Amino acid sequence: MARITGIFAASHTPVMLNFPQAIEPALRSEVFSAFSDLGQAIAAAQPQALVVLSDDHVHNFFLNNLPSLCIGAAEHYPTPVEHWLKAEKRVLPGDARLGAYLLQHAMAHDFDPSLSMELTLDHGILTPLELAGVGRELPVVPVLINCVQPPLPSMARCHAFGRWLGQALRAYEGLERVAILATGGLSHDLATPRMGLVNEDFDRRFLELLEAGDAAGAVAHARDQVHLAGNGGEEVRMWLAALGAADGAPFVRRFYQPVSGWYTGIGLGHWAC
Amino acid sequence: MSNWVQAMPTAEAYGLNKVLFQLHHSAGDLARYQDNASAYLDAFALSAAARAAILGNEVAQLYLLGCNPYLLRAHCIGMRIPEDQSLAALRSAARS
Repeated sequence: MARITGIFAASHTPVMLNFPQAIEPALRSEVFSAFSDLGQAIAAAQPQALVVLSDDHVHNFFLNNLPSLCIGAAEHYPTPVEHWLKAEKRVLPGDARLGAYLLQHAMAHDFDPSLSMELTLDHGILTPLELAGVGRELPVVPVLINCVQPPLPSMARCHAFGRWLGQALRAYEGLERVAILATGGLSHDLATPRMGLVNEDFDRRFLELLEAGDAAGAVAHARDQVHLAGNGGEEVRMWLAALGAADGAPFVRRFYQPVSGWYTGIGLGHWAC
Repeated sequence: MSNWVQAMPTAEAYGLNKVLFQLHHSAGDLARYQDNASAYLDAFALSAAARAAILGNEVAQLYLLGCNPYLLRAHCIGMRIPEDQSLAALRSAARS
């Protein structure tokens, strides 16, 4: 049986790579240090595979066929898909076997994620891996949650999906150690009249609820207040899925700052597994 | 305020989003569009309002017509619309 040796969460934004100089050097250094520390924590967990919870920002999927949930089962994932992202093109190794296992386990346990055997991953996954310096040889399994185009899966559904994910990983016999990285959020607004506004109150309350171990409260806060946290704030679904996977393990906030120059409330944390 | 202009994309928004998706995901399409935008758009079923909005880089109007925000953002970057200009346009949409 596999052990989940680490569950992590971190914001992502392409602005970190494209316009890092948009914020003061001291704050930039603080954020980048937090990501670097996160990378060390991921390495210390010694995972043999990293399940990355993220969203596809309308690159692999379009409105002609838009899955609410999707699990990758490919051996390789080219990245980044964005022609405008300032990041070196590379290919991430995938753990196709773990992806296939998760898909089959999900179907047997009343979740219906889409299958993808070919994804070109975007900044949502690449940015945190890049900034955290996660080893390029670490196989990943992308698990994508639609946060980018309504209708969206409910916050409660995402939390329940994460609970299933944790159970599935713990029952997996193919590896000894796996880790989870949830990426997205916190509050931000993209291409709306509110772009640039960060809802610090929303973010801090969300983090407090995670720290208090109040899963129902975190789900309710996200459900009832996300309309004040911006369309990018919808990405707290990934944090809720990680919370579900953590199965009651305590949450530790590693970093939070409202970084309006990058349009985003930047948060990082982990669940002490 | 909702995070979204439309809880479900309209057919008009679908057409608009299809243009933006192809422009920024199909090799060579952005260059073809920049070479002759009007001819490029002839291949799509677009409302007159959607066609005018995209041809004019009318960011506020694109937003109000239900452009997916991620596609709209990619379009602003891809078309090199200055950041202050696109932000000002978006903010004007809140007042319309």
